[in-house]
Amino acid sequence: MVTNEIYKKEYDVIIIGGGATGAGTARDCALRGLSVLLVERDDYSTGATGRNHGLMHSGARYAVTDGESAAECIKENMILRRIARHCVEETDGLFITLPEDDLAYQQTFVEACGRAGIRAEVIAPDEARAIEPSVNPDLIGAVRIPDAAIDPFRLTVANLLDARINGAETLNHHEVEGLIVNQGRAEGVKLHNKLNGEHVEVRGKVVVNAAGIWGQRIAKMAGVNISMFPARGALLIFGHRVNRMVINRCRKPANADILVPDDTVCVIGTTSDRIPIETVDDMRVTREEVDVLLKEGIKLAPSLATTRVIRAYAGVRPLVASDDDPSGRSISRGIVCLDHAKRDGLEGFITITGGKMMTYRLMGEIATNAVCAKLGNSKPCITATLPLPGSEDDAPSQSDATKRYSFGERAAIGRHGSLAARIEKDNDIDNALVCECEGVTVGEIKYAVHQLHVQNLVNLRRRTRVGMGTCQGKLCSCRAASLLGEFNHDVKRAQKDLATFLDERWKGMRPVAWGDTLREAQLTAAIYEGLCGLDQAVSTQRKEDEQ
Amino acid sequence: MAERMQLCNISDNNFEQCTKCSICTTVCPVAAVTTDYPGPKQAGPDGERYRLKDHAYYDKALKLCLNCKRCEVACPSGVNIADIIQHARMKAGEGQRASLRDTMLANTDLLGMVANLVAPVANATLGLAPTKLVMDSVMAIDKHRTFPAYSRTKFTTWFKRHAAKEQDAYPNHVSYFHGCYVNYNFPKLGQDLVKLMNAVGYGVHLLDKEQCCGVALIANGLYKQAKRQARTNADSIRKSVKDDHLTVLTTSSSCTFNLRDEYPSLLGVDTSDVRDGIMIATRFIYNLVDEEKIKLIFKQDFKKRMAYHTACHMQRMGWQLYSIELLRRIPGLDLQVLEQECCGISGTYGFKKENYERSQAIGSILFKHIEDAKVEAVITDCETCKWQIEMSTGLPVENPISVLADALDVEATRRANGLQI
Amino acid sequence: MRTDTVIIGGGLSGLTCGIALAKRGQRVTIVASGQSTLLFNGGSMELLGNIDGIAVTTPLEAIGTLPQSHPYSKIGADKIAGLADEAKQLLADAGIDMEGNASANHWRITPMGVAKPAWLTLKENLRIDDLDKLPAKRVALMCIRGYFDQPNGMLAQGLRELGFDVKAIEFTTDDITSLRRSPSEMRATTLAKRLISNSALQRIADQINNLSDDAELVLLPSVFGQTDATDFQTLQSMVKKPLRFVATLPPSVAGGRIQALLRHYFKMLGGNYLMGDSAVSGQFDGDKLLGVTTAKLGDMPLKANNFVLASGSFISRGLVANYERVFEPVFDLDVDADGEREQWTRFGVLEPQAYSRYGVATDNDLRCMKDGKPIQNLRAIGSVLSGHDAVKMGDGTGVSMLTALAVTKGIISGK
Repeated sequence: MVTNEIYKKEYDVIIIGGGATGAGTARDCALRGLSVLLVERDDYSTGATGRNHGLMHSGARYAVTDGESAAECIKENMILRRIARHCVEETDGLFITLPEDDLAYQQTFVEACGRAGIRAEVIAPDEARAIEPSVNPDLIGAVRIPDAAIDPFRLTVANLLDARINGAETLNHHEVEGLIVNQGRAEGVKLHNKLNGEHVEVRGKVVVNAAGIWGQRIAKMAGVNISMFPARGALLIFGHRVNRMVINRCRKPANADILVPDDTVCVIGTTSDRIPIETVDDMRVTREEVDVLLKEGIKLAPSLATTRVIRAYAGVRPLVASDDDPSGRSISRGIVCLDHAKRDGLEGFITITGGKMMTYRLMGEIATNAVCAKLGNSKPCITATLPLPGSEDDAPSQSDATKRYSFGERAAIGRHGSLAARIEKDNDIDNALVCECEGVTVGEIKYAVHQLHVQNLVNLRRRTRVGMGTCQGKLCSCRAASLLGEFNHDVKRAQKDLATFLDERWKGMRPVAWGDTLREAQLTAAIYEGLCGLDQAVSTQRKEDEQ
Repeated sequence: MAERMQLCNISDNNFEQCTKCSICTTVCPVAAVTTDYPGPKQAGPDGERYRLKDHAYYDKALKLCLNCKRCEVACPSGVNIADIIQHARMKAGEGQRASLRDTMLANTDLLGMVANLVAPVANATLGLAPTKLVMDSVMAIDKHRTFPAYSRTKFTTWFKRHAAKEQDAYPNHVSYFHGCYVNYNFPKLGQDLVKLMNAVGYGVHLLDKEQCCGVALIANGLYKQAKRQARTNADSIRKSVKDDHLTVLTTSSSCTFNLRDEYPSLLGVDTSDVRDGIMIATRFIYNLVDEEKIKLIFKQDFKKRMAYHTACHMQRMGWQLYSIELLRRIPGLDLQVLEQECCGISGTYGFKKENYERSQAIGSILFKHIEDAKVEAVITDCETCKWQIEMSTGLPVENPISVLADALDVEATRRANGLQI
Repeated sequence: MRTDTVIIGGGLSGLTCGIALAKRGQRVTIVASGQSTLLFNGGSMELLGNIDGIAVTTPLEAIGTLPQSHPYSKIGADKIAGLADEAKQLLADAGIDMEGNASANHWRITPMGVAKPAWLTLKENLRIDDLDKLPAKRVALMCIRGYFDQPNGMLAQGLRELGFDVKAIEFTTDDITSLRRSPSEMRATTLAKRLISNSALQRIADQINNLSDDAELVLLPSVFGQTDATDFQTLQSMVKKPLRFVATLPPSVAGGRIQALLRHYFKMLGGNYLMGDSAVSGQFDGDKLLGVTTAKLGDMPLKANNFVLASGSFISRGLVANYERVFEPVFDLDVDADGEREQWTRFGVLEPQAYSRYGVATDNDLRCMKDGKPIQNLRAIGSVLSGHDAVKMGDGTGVSMLTALAVTKGIISGK
């Protein structure tokens, strides 16, 4: 449907926020037959969803401190293995005890896991070293638990795809500027289309605030107060996977004690700092954060000391103060669903927040239940059993590999599961690799642009991994920008987009710009500025835009 | 621990040092002639990150790699690209059996031993049209190929009969790893080395036990056998270098590279303690000449125009300099140094029917350069390059040691080095 | 092994220096750790392109305004014109035909259609002397179907902004279509290796002749001429209209050819070029360097009377940055660089980056400093020098060639 048509419709529910929670809620609502519009101010999974470890918690991390969360986690963990198979890599995880840790905690930990229903198997240090060769060899204890790796970008997109299949509309790059409130009732949203600058109003019977940490701002627009306590966490990405399994420290949760193998890389994190709500949009990683992450990271896997760091990033967890304690001292890490009709006397407005990426589906279910209660819909939730698009069937088998080199095809199957069948690959041009690090073909880019709501290179990166390899988009970003320019018939925008993309890549590289990552940056500068003159082209364009 | 943090980047075969600059792809001789091969960057560091996730990302196209190492020589980041590819192939080949053809090609010593016994018959048979057709169709060994002729007498037999006894009389001593080619096909090269070394006052000794270095076994996926033979050779070399204090000389660049570098990197047989004690003979001789420890005197009437071809593995070792500089000392030799190009044979690769055309296409640039150089013969340190160039250009190809020995005024040299004639 | 001079680095500066010395009868050894950054050069040399973001039109004049820390100032602004002529001649001697002169920059056209100031440009590449007087109005931009290393849309857009009337025309030939089968190897350098036969060139020329309509000038991506310019000449003889090449994304055919021709020339002059080897350490006697140990020659160091460090910047690993510091890895020479990591870089990717000005510290004769004192017989040239910025000032190739020629004079005169 064209955007203007989308604006005109009136919806049962408008969901604000295109993270995992919003996407999960949209899917659930759509599956229950509601008419749904989801709006996202930036791109899907730009916020906390795309800025975490990519860890599919077993719940073990919370077992000792928060049994309820732990039980939720393991339940959702098992569900996601079924419904989101193509987003999940079943790695298992270790909780290791180092000489400086108290081995007695292991006992407490294993018992707590047992209570939460998490399989926790104590193994000998020797066995741990054998199954995970990268682990700190000094470990004195290890517990094996069912952690896994999950790709949050793919997960979010799969939920949105299914929502759309079931009739939902989704708009990215649409920022909510205000809520339409009439006589104590939320009746829709005021939107700013950031792609063309338009301002519009869209009406809906219920508005769901699933904007994560930005939910406080959204609530305020409705005149409702929620106290969020942003907790910032920084992470580092290394150039390749040093570990096969998730490695955690078996102690009370602390800084940089999880190392996750994600796709072709591994990620260490996180730090944890309470920050003022005004600074949640500043995601720059500081030198101190980098230092802490490295210092703690090498305790999990010593080889990180000499492994290339390709990127640093940070995200903000949306923690919510309990309503009975607005000081923020007692903060819930669990799921918070606020019906503002009951809480604040504002009808048609629901906030779903707190929780974790892991429990996005459950959050969606809870929020949808609340919506359905208002709309008198009694259909049951089926998201726990219905596989997401891409995970329904076995992944398509690749074409006869003996005949042609098929890295791109295999990588695409890894990314899109059964949906990879929709990627054109029958002619040589569609088969050509654009991003060689990550095996992204022209066909996959076409598919992403036409079916996965891609407007720019950053969106494309989240859908396909273009530019996520060690070179962070050296040649592929130019190739991809050219293709986008061609598909969108807008070369100037593509060129500006290229500069923005390189800037976004550099933002993550800069805090770790030493060694080969600095070499990489210099080569990128030599190509795009020295050879191509992109800086000149963009500054000319910017001057024109100003005039 | 914190002191050592992020001071350098260490990864297997330096694959993570890759900046994706794509320079390696510009020198790959295989990618230049076939669209089936994804090129060294894809096959090497790009693919490796995915193979670390799941080895199912291994692609059979990697078999097309020649292992010529030109990508490694060109890489400005020190990535051992070809080694990454070889390792991936080894991992994919685990538990799989090599074909009869590959086993036969790989066992250069076994084939040599049998052929030696029946040399006249073998040479005739391996050269016969019907035999070639059978090999072509049944064994998939390309019919254009001629197996190198087998010698009636092995080098080792000659050495024991005619040379061994006098070696102790020389003031200085070296060991010699002759390799399969010298032993079975071309004893003259070994004899030339003995002649040359003796003339400058060095006695030559064989290793206690020498087996085929295994370069062909590795290329054909027979890793277990390669490893066994590598251990035997490493022990013999260790005895020579460590116990007897004798440097081990070689006359084949591929054997040398294999012994020094592929043993530890591909087969996990550590030779680092004796690595500096293994070298191609021209390097050893050049150093003696450079330090004025020995003198070489060449015949006045030696007049030839020859072209030097840098074998890929020679270039990987960086030692062509020694062969070239030594040859430049022959007054009557008009030496043309060719631009480094791959000849396309890469050991047994070019013998396989499926590779023949590709192999010749790769070599065509070199053959053109040779033709343009207008020389009477070509010089190279590699025996398989020799076969390929001889077959493809019709010119004779010689090892630098043989050229030096031919040009050497033996008597004058012996005298100059204080030896009795 | 002893030669007169050992040069560490086999890129533009190392080869220029090696050729100049070999021409004067020196025996020279070059140690080159891999192919050089010339593979990222589109076929132009720049003396000085920009100062503070403003394009330089008369580089010789502008060089006079540079601070004393800039390599050109160390050489002496008055010497630049002479050295520039010498450099152009050296390129021509090596078989590299470039046009342009040091007194006035011309404009080279980048793969994105941007006009950048340049000193010399390969004859077959599109160059513009005066932006107000374009060499042609109607241009046929020939785009190879399925070749993604030329951003055709951006190029066409850029050319239009310069005032050309551009028609972008996609074409292919059977040869090109069959090359497209490789998903990863459709690179400029691969095309240049494959598209060499007269028949392959004729098929391309036929397409151009059929499709280019009323164009006055035909532009093609620079994917021809791996070893020399004859493929261009052949194509031009087949195409009925004036033909020019435009640089592509790397690896660059033109840059590769410049590198190969220089190397070939150096070898012809008797030089030793150790490809794929790298210097690892040096042996000093006080303020004199005696020898350099390389990774491959091992226990036989390279000895010489003079040594030249032409090892490049971070990309080429002539400089190394780690978690703690920026250093020169072979000799641990003094470097001009900031101490704190945060100072090395700036936030915006297109802003001038401090690291690109880092390099080894030298005295005014380009002698390398170690522990505050100059090493008498070790000079630095090219990108390893501090005080210039190839990316933002467009002075990389000029500094490489001119500093190389300047130290050659010092070495020969024995100063």
